[in-house]
Amino acid sequence: MAFLEINRLHKQYGSVEVLKGVDIAIEEGGFLVLVGPSGCGKSTLLNTIAGLESISSGEISIDGKVVNDLHPSKRDIAMVFQSYALYPSMSVGENIAFGLEMRGVSKADREKAIQGVAGMLQIEHLLKRRPGQLSGGQRQRVAMGRALVRDPKLFLFDEPLSNLDAKLRVDMRTEIKRLHQKLGTTIVYVTHDQIEAMTLATQIAVLKDGILQQVGSPDEVYSKPANMFVADFMGSPTMNLIEARIENGGGSLSVEIPQRDRSLSLPVPQPPTSLQSYSGRSVVLGIRPEDITDLDGADPKAEHIAHANCSVEVVEPTGADTFVVTQLGGKEVTGRMRSANGLSVGADVPFAFNMGKIHFFDPATELRIA
Amino acid sequence: MSAASKDTALRTGVIARALIYSILLVFAVFYLLPLFVMLVNSLKTLDEIRQGNMLAFPEVFTFEPWIQAWGEAQIGVEPTGLKPYFINSLVMVVPAVIISTLLGAINGYVLTKWQFRGHRVVFGLMLFSCFIPFQIVLIPMARILGILDLAGTTSGLVLVHVVYGLGFTTLFFRNYYDAFPTELIRAATIDGAGFFRIFRRILLPSSGPIIVVTVIWQFTNVWNDFLFGASFADFDSQPMTVALNNLVSSSTGVKEYNVHFAGAILAALPTLIVYVVSGRYFVRGLMAGAVKG
Repeated sequence: MAFLEINRLHKQYGSVEVLKGVDIAIEEGGFLVLVGPSGCGKSTLLNTIAGLESISSGEISIDGKVVNDLHPSKRDIAMVFQSYALYPSMSVGENIAFGLEMRGVSKADREKAIQGVAGMLQIEHLLKRRPGQLSGGQRQRVAMGRALVRDPKLFLFDEPLSNLDAKLRVDMRTEIKRLHQKLGTTIVYVTHDQIEAMTLATQIAVLKDGILQQVGSPDEVYSKPANMFVADFMGSPTMNLIEARIENGGGSLSVEIPQRDRSLSLPVPQPPTSLQSYSGRSVVLGIRPEDITDLDGADPKAEHIAHANCSVEVVEPTGADTFVVTQLGGKEVTGRMRSANGLSVGADVPFAFNMGKIHFFDPATELRIA
Repeated sequence: MSAASKDTALRTGVIARALIYSILLVFAVFYLLPLFVMLVNSLKTLDEIRQGNMLAFPEVFTFEPWIQAWGEAQIGVEPTGLKPYFINSLVMVVPAVIISTLLGAINGYVLTKWQFRGHRVVFGLMLFSCFIPFQIVLIPMARILGILDLAGTTSGLVLVHVVYGLGFTTLFFRNYYDAFPTELIRAATIDGAGFFRIFRRILLPSSGPIIVVTVIWQFTNVWNDFLFGASFADFDSQPMTVALNNLVSSSTGVKEYNVHFAGAILAALPTLIVYVVSGRYFVRGLMAGAVKG
């Protein structure tokens, strides 16, 4: 039995169904990230785990105990809120100790606990201040301290970094990861930022419209997206999704991308059997920008590189890489080049396609074929 | 000037500024004139008032009218002055203000943070009670006070004012708590605090401005109320306003204008003090709900 188990969870507001049968399980010490666009139900899911919102049907259990009807304070959880939710009239120390105070912990023990957490988060010098006198990053630390001090079974984070500026967000992300590795706590973390999800998670759950799209390790979700939504959502820039046809040319399959003047045919190496039945039919070809490169930039370990000339439409240098936009199958396709050398708009340049890392989706069901 | 220009939307010329200030000054003087007349004449002897010049300073200062109004003037049938009625008013106002403010705060808390099915309707009805004229409730209220055996008592008046004030106090607190972040309540819930503990430890400490607004509002309304006092009070529980009326509109004896002026100022003094002490919070608090942030 997993540490946190969510079975067939439904949540309705009147006639609106927000969560439509969610099943997730994580082991103790795991870091589950719930990710999805706004309105997908990820915060609602977190609130139901916390007990702040009731569930319509299903079951939530923490450490083998069903908590469906348990009051939030009795679930042995701690939550970090997006707005930090620090009590404005209390000092930082009182904020951290409030939960202990409510549980009747003696003042001496509370002091000790505050000192321990403050030391870990390096906020000792702030303990006497009010939340209003703190910067965003400091408030974030205090909010985490308040969660950590109670040493709960489960930590819940509701978009904790979205109110910080870009640099601080990256720093705090590392800090959260370090804390998780050090303390080995079990965490459920909500974010709409797929980079946060990739960097922090041991398990990612992608949600859309209250339906779980995929659960898996960051690598699984990234390299084997279950459907076109996950493929599109994870990764930046997003995966190129191109309408194409599978052609069977004497035992070997190839994918043909219709173009205005010449249609582009790329061989499919070691085609999985699931793809065979699609020969002669249209599919959606998915290929990530990092798998469309200049010839020098192609992965030297990749076994199946296909070359094709495409005309450059937009060049976007970012410093380390240069993103190049071209047209394939009537859609804009982004590739990632090593340098901007020789790339001018309108030029016909050779692109290298890493055919070992392509994805196929069914255009009707949007599900992954291979 | 440089400091002021930061706060003002537009920098205006010196002449325009002088014009604005002189107009404001004229209006201020105009509005303060009645108070001036009352104050000046309350310090004159009756003979001096009879000579006619209302705006003149007293030739002979005398505190006799004040002493009269406070402790000796004939009110109704007793020569008690306003003192016992002043105390009546205080005994009525203090509990009425405290109870209605506290209940309003709890109402606002429930209506925003513990919403239940139909909370909008309940709030709508409470809001509606703010617009019911006093006169309409007189007879039903008299019946209820009779049933509760509170007719003619100070407790009865406290009840009337609490009930009547509840609509306003609820409105104030509801709008204030509406902007109060709900995540704080959730955080406290997870921390293990219950309904009243959250109210006392999280909400109340942040409610200073709105408490001041509500207390001022309730204090002035209850203190200045005449109709309920005249309708529901007995001789031994009549508030200041009713006593003042009895003093001024007495139809026997000489009209002692100086005593009347002194009495009127005495009656208005507590509300005046409350405004002077905390008026700036009042304005700030009333604005607080209007603009977020």
